[in-house]
Amino acid sequence: MVSLEFKRDRLIFRHGTSKYEWIIEPRYWRNPIIATLILSCIPALMYGYPNVLTMLTFANIYAAVAIMMGLQTIGTARVNFGPQLYVGLGGYVASIFNLYFGLSPALTFILTILVSVAVALAISPIVLIARGLYFALITLLLPLIFLQITFIYAHIFGGEFGLSGMSPLIDLGRASWNYVTYCYLSLILMLIYLLIADKIMRSRFGISMAAINDNETAAEVLGVPVRNYKLFSYIFPSVCMAIVGWFIAHTFRTFSGVTYLSFFFLIKLLLIIIIGGRATLYGAVAGAYFIAVVEEFLRAFGPIHYVIFPILLIALVYMLPEGVWGIYHKRHYRDYYPKLRVRR
Amino acid sequence: MLKLSNVTKSFGGLIAINNVSFEISKGETVGLIGPNGAGKTTLIHLITGVYKPDLGSIKFNGKELTKMPPHRICREGIARTYQIPQPFPDMTALNNVVVAVLNRKNRKNMSLADAELEASYFLEFVGLFRKRNTLARDLSLYELRMLELARALATEPKLLLIDETMAGLNPVESLRAVDMIKMAKEHFDLTILWVEHVMKIIMSAAERIIVLHYGKKIAEGPPEHISKDEKVIEAYLGEKYA
Repeated sequence: MVSLEFKRDRLIFRHGTSKYEWIIEPRYWRNPIIATLILSCIPALMYGYPNVLTMLTFANIYAAVAIMMGLQTIGTARVNFGPQLYVGLGGYVASIFNLYFGLSPALTFILTILVSVAVALAISPIVLIARGLYFALITLLLPLIFLQITFIYAHIFGGEFGLSGMSPLIDLGRASWNYVTYCYLSLILMLIYLLIADKIMRSRFGISMAAINDNETAAEVLGVPVRNYKLFSYIFPSVCMAIVGWFIAHTFRTFSGVTYLSFFFLIKLLLIIIIGGRATLYGAVAGAYFIAVVEEFLRAFGPIHYVIFPILLIALVYMLPEGVWGIYHKRHYRDYYPKLRVRR
Repeated sequence: MLKLSNVTKSFGGLIAINNVSFEISKGETVGLIGPNGAGKTTLIHLITGVYKPDLGSIKFNGKELTKMPPHRICREGIARTYQIPQPFPDMTALNNVVVAVLNRKNRKNMSLADAELEASYFLEFVGLFRKRNTLARDLSLYELRMLELARALATEPKLLLIDETMAGLNPVESLRAVDMIKMAKEHFDLTILWVEHVMKIIMSAAERIIVLHYGKKIAEGPPEHISKDEKVIEAYLGEKYA
């Protein structure tokens, strides 16, 4: 039994005993399904434009990292200024094991997870010890130290040129098909991250994480096991970021620390988060697409985006401190909306 | 119920709590008074585990609290309110209480919806149900204090530590707050340790008073004895009046 009914302001779709409603009034159109459909149509329409497809793939990769950075920010109540560390770590682990030991992408995936869990566990005590400025400084320096290591041991990490020639995830035999496939794979990766992060934030654990973000001491006195929450929300997003590095290494088949470990990659991530609205998950997707498009547009003018992006960052922090999401939030203030604070 | 023996805490050279011992038995309302800087709030921080004492032991129902982290102490049944309200400013009043409901003992499988239902009961108890969807940063001082009380009650405490609820409230509001605390004590079968500056209120509400001065306990007893105690008058008003 399937029936479709139009009733005043909504379309009602019935199937057996289940009923689905679709409210027609545009202000209720914030259904993530619409956005997902649009995002998944674009790569198919752009078949034959490899530039655009690469841009979209990068947009999805930026979004995946930014979503996890947002989750990390809320759960640890601290801004991690070095999320690229784990992207670089994942990329290099995947590349090295694939190139030097000949392991398949599936095996490097497992190794990436293991290594990044170990590294994140080793670094995680900084979440408990350091606060505010000190935490920012430590996390800012870690990826730069790793970048220096890749220069020093250039015979392993490939130095400035990085490593190339890793085995691809999927090879369909034609370059134009591969571009579309990778674009879809990156989209799936990003959507999975979005789903996971959203599920966590809307669950009972999410509300405790939000409490830690708002007031750590008060949360602890109310019975929230702050230490466990902070460790989980440092390690889990870190591992997810490392998986993004693995994905980059096996899709673009080249990986260099100069691109992903440098300060400039961080600036792009910060811009995405500021445009999207601090630590919001859906805002990160909008911000990532915006930045990827702007980057592609500025490519024609040479390396000017190295200057423009930092200036844009400063301007946005001043003019639109709550991002695009802040405009939405003014109307929907009941949704939990975390703020990034640098605490003493 | 709560037993402090020879508790000492110092910050650098300053001895904030010096060899303090006292006991609170079940069902009591104990007042804790003292001039500014006497160490009242430090004592509350010590009991809730935010600070760890240098010496001495704090026992609650026979369990040693000094080794426990704050969230374990909360689950043992000790809740507190703050002198300066510490809400979660970007969350609604209801969500503030939900955090407390979800993280208390034996709530491993409670769903968010159930927690909201239960949290709304505590909000209604303190008279804030109407404000459940207001962000905590938009609440007035009285409402914040009531929100803190609701949050503390939602952890199902056996012992409630109240840190200067009356500071900054006008007379009508403070009377309402005192009534609320008395009602909560009856309703939830609480034991209360109450830090207060307003003598009139604490003398009428508490059954026993403990006086701190420069980190030392100088007097303990029923209110009528305390108000005549020479040491206490000296600590508050100076030697001339003693």
